[in-house]
Amino acid sequence: MIYAILSVKKNPGKLNALLAGIKGLSGVGLYAVSVNKITLAVCDMNKAEIIADKSCAIEYAGIIETLAQQFTLLPVQYGSVMESTDTIKKMLERNYAEIQQNLLKVENKFEFGLKVFCDSEKLMTELEDANETVQKSGSEIKNSVFREYVNQKLKEHRREEMLLSYVDSIIAEFTRLLTHLNTINKIKKMASAKNIIDAVFLLKKNKKDEMVQAVKDFQSKYPRLNFILTGPWPPYNFVDFTLK
Amino acid sequence: MSKNKILCNKGTVDLSVNDVTEELEQQTNNKGSKLELTPANADSGLAKLVLTLVELIRKLVEKQAMRRVDGGLLTEEEIERLGETLMKQEMKMEELKKHFNLTDRDLNINLGPLGDLM
Repeated sequence: MIYAILSVKKNPGKLNALLAGIKGLSGVGLYAVSVNKITLAVCDMNKAEIIADKSCAIEYAGIIETLAQQFTLLPVQYGSVMESTDTIKKMLERNYAEIQQNLLKVENKFEFGLKVFCDSEKLMTELEDANETVQKSGSEIKNSVFREYVNQKLKEHRREEMLLSYVDSIIAEFTRLLTHLNTINKIKKMASAKNIIDAVFLLKKNKKDEMVQAVKDFQSKYPRLNFILTGPWPPYNFVDFTLK
Repeated sequence: MSKNKILCNKGTVDLSVNDVTEELEQQTNNKGSKLELTPANADSGLAKLVLTLVELIRKLVEKQAMRRVDGGLLTEEEIERLGETLMKQEMKMEELKKHFNLTDRDLNINLGPLGDLM
């Protein structure tokens, strides 16, 4: 089973020593399979032995985390198995350029997750109170039941649009604030009614404190939102290639 | 999510680690929205699949219609007709959901990392 793809430019002995000290899933030892400067951390395991449950996935993530503390790596999806070291080497040779490109992108960087939560119903009402257009739509009611129906739908539509535009403005302001950190961002809006922003950022390991401070500053500015910053994580969301 | 991975969590919305975990599990747990087609439930399974698609299209049409109303692109008469159509469509959907014993939640399939369908 493959755990991660690592960049080992110098001192492969350090990686071997680290791998020797780590026990993989089911207590199976880890070892390295390399092609030039790219190394895979693997263990010998049959596909049938892999248990797809939460505790195994967490243990697997913990091993990747340990490796990520010392090496630049690309995490591999839990349960990725190849037949032999020979097959692994051939796969590495086929995908060498793309893997190296991805390793370069995440070099000395960690991923941070930012989730913004709020009571969106309450927030929409607050925004609505401050917005004349939406309030006005409530007073446009005419006699027809169909027109009333449209007015109600229009009001809901305007409330949603207002929330989306508010979320857009928060995202724009926050990304502007992060410009000097040279982050790579992936941002999703409205993951759920409560989770209005779900973002991941890739940034240099030594910029962690600045990131934390930026989020704290933002939290003070927007007290009705709840900013949850997590990390540092291995770059789970920044591996952009498909194996050939 | 382990506590030592949370670098910042303050704000007026009181969220504990458990609350966040629960919310995230809800987002990724699609047990309730899986289409479980078996010989025993072929009818309702298929109905759920079809109604999910119909509801998605209905909501998209409604959204687009509201954009046009909001943009002032329709006459009073057109708005009236639109209201009647949308209202009848919604009532028909409610009827079908009731017939197949489905709720709004059943028709809102979770698409994993992409979030909910609607």
